[in-house]
Amino acid sequence: MLMLSILALITHAAGSGAAEPSGYNAMVRSALNKHIIPHFEVLKAASDPLAEAVGNVCSTGGEAAEKVLADRFQDAVRAYAQVDFLRFGPMLEGGRRERLSFWPDPRGFLPRQLRLILVSKDEAVLQPGAIGKQSVAVQGLTALEALVQDTEVRLGPGEPARFRCALAQSIAANVAEVAGELVDEWEKPGGWKDKMLHPGPDNDTYKSGSEPAVEIVKALLVGLSLTADLQLKPQIDPKIKLSPPYQRSGLQKIYYAASVASLHQLYETLQLEDHLKPNKLWMKNWLKGAWRTIEASDGAGGRSPTAERDDAPTVRETFDKMNSLRSLVSNHLAAAAGLTVGFNELDGD
Amino acid sequence: MSLTVIDRRSLLAGTIAYVGAAPLRSALGAEASDVAFVSAARRVDGDYCVLLLGSDGSILREVPLSGRGHDIAIHKQTGRVVVFARRPGTFAVAFELTTRAAPTVFTADIGRHFYGHGTFSQDGRLLYASENDIAGERGVIGIYDVARGYKKIGEHPTYGVGPHEILLHSDGKTLVVANGGLDTIPDAGRTNLNVDRMEPSLVFVDARSGELLTKHDMTGDLRFLSIRHIAEDAAGRIWFGGQWEGATSETPQLIGSAGRNREIRLIAPRGADMVDLKGYIGSMAVSANGRVIAASAPKAGHVLYLESETGRIIAHSSLKDVCGIAAFGEGDFAVSSGFGVIRHETPFARLIAEAELHDIAFDNHLRRSA
Repeated sequence: MLMLSILALITHAAGSGAAEPSGYNAMVRSALNKHIIPHFEVLKAASDPLAEAVGNVCSTGGEAAEKVLADRFQDAVRAYAQVDFLRFGPMLEGGRRERLSFWPDPRGFLPRQLRLILVSKDEAVLQPGAIGKQSVAVQGLTALEALVQDTEVRLGPGEPARFRCALAQSIAANVAEVAGELVDEWEKPGGWKDKMLHPGPDNDTYKSGSEPAVEIVKALLVGLSLTADLQLKPQIDPKIKLSPPYQRSGLQKIYYAASVASLHQLYETLQLEDHLKPNKLWMKNWLKGAWRTIEASDGAGGRSPTAERDDAPTVRETFDKMNSLRSLVSNHLAAAAGLTVGFNELDGD
Repeated sequence: MSLTVIDRRSLLAGTIAYVGAAPLRSALGAEASDVAFVSAARRVDGDYCVLLLGSDGSILREVPLSGRGHDIAIHKQTGRVVVFARRPGTFAVAFELTTRAAPTVFTADIGRHFYGHGTFSQDGRLLYASENDIAGERGVIGIYDVARGYKKIGEHPTYGVGPHEILLHSDGKTLVVANGGLDTIPDAGRTNLNVDRMEPSLVFVDARSGELLTKHDMTGDLRFLSIRHIAEDAAGRIWFGGQWEGATSETPQLIGSAGRNREIRLIAPRGADMVDLKGYIGSMAVSANGRVIAASAPKAGHVLYLESETGRIIAHSSLKDVCGIAAFGEGDFAVSSGFGVIRHETPFARLIAEAELHDIAFDNHLRRSA
């Protein structure tokens, strides 16, 4: 039998800047209290008025009501974009993410499913809670957008739009319900917040102190990947045919801005840079510049209205910066904090 | 410490990228027959490659890749090797362990992409690859003629969506396919498009005719268990490891077995044998004697060893980001990690030896080449 000829016991000692277990707990608590839970609460608050705004358009019609609905919808999309990448815990369970926002949809599943409902005009779908049992594609903000932006039969008073209006109200109510579930699942006693703050042998998800912190770092990395690959890459790779998020509502730039603002805020909350050793402090300036570039872009080749630099970064430059930043966070910052995210564990296959 | 030997050889291998004409073995004093394992990997500079490793974990040869690889199909009698791009990639690279010929690069047809896995026919003349018929929203087994430069000559259906690992059954005429049930298309990256409608299955397909022989659907409480990796034991049973797409609190056992005429059975560990696998099995392997099954769980950092006859858990070992597993000797295993560690351990989780290749991240799968 062949034997390995070399025996080398490797100690994966974290660098001197690695956080202690209590430090991990503080990091997680900070991320939960300053970023994660407040953003889900914002989503709930933004979702609650949607159904009433749809109802006003449907009962009274008119530009004023439509403007209010457009504003409410924009608030909800912005709030959703800020939590889209938090794909663990309550967002992962019960398909809540897809139920809130079914994007990307390269197969056009949403329009097909929505058409089936609109053609059948099945009143049972309009019963309280019934839309939540339909395909996830027709349950969320993307389905609501399809109804609101449909110029063939506009939402408003009158028989032609009656079924659509009722459906749109059901969808809006479902969005609020799912957003409410998310907040509840995070905040209730024994909920996901408690689970992340109290790792241990009896915890069914997080055994060690570092695991909840790694979960949050992974979410940050996933968010950077999603933003780069789904929002930016289709603009620089002509082979990719993928519509931007909420394009029909003209909200793709708002979606991008909300995504990167939330990612940056989570990044700052984690304070990963504090763990860098003195010989790697040069990274701080680079990282600051990378975020400046990413936030100077409007996500579509133009300049963000809040940009700190005068010119507009190209989509290519923004894409490259985001990928480099992701690599630096994964390979250096997280590692310095003792939160190494494995090559294979990050994204199963 | 002996580790410095590995480091020097790794460095040498890393600085002399394989170009097809001059195998590194001459520089390293190694022979092709010294190649014990093959694995896709990523170097610290972000470049991807396939590494041919000696039994001591040293790098004997490196084949550069244009993107991230995944699994490797090896035909041991001829020394043919094919590495597939990771889902939803479209390239595959073929080369031989025993010749100096330049690698052959081939791609999936337009409208298809690879799922990262494949297997050779028993005589090594055909290569089967798990692929996506993107427009048709169905899985297919691509059939490639090795002698014609891996020209695609046909397809079989997989009778499901999102096929992942496929293997040739020891009967030599049946392909076993793990239909993960998840629909992806390259335009949407790695986003799973149909989690609420997923229908995973384990199927047995006649390799010659493409006829469906047996299909085991994952239904009921298991409908969110995406079957991804498989291995065959000495009795011809197929062992599978899955990825759970449902609620964490409802995670079932991720490992089970089935046969052509035998229903799916999940393992049933008790008490101290219960190990949290974090919802994902990254690789499956069987010992050379066919009696021990290994399942790696990279998110949990464990390798689980099971007795194939009973399904009893023998032991589990721990290594951060462990994923690659391959038979080693008669009954042992080699395991590799995303942090460049490669180990030799027993099914009782006893560490025999360990080496670390700095600046290397081993990808999901480690394959025994000899």
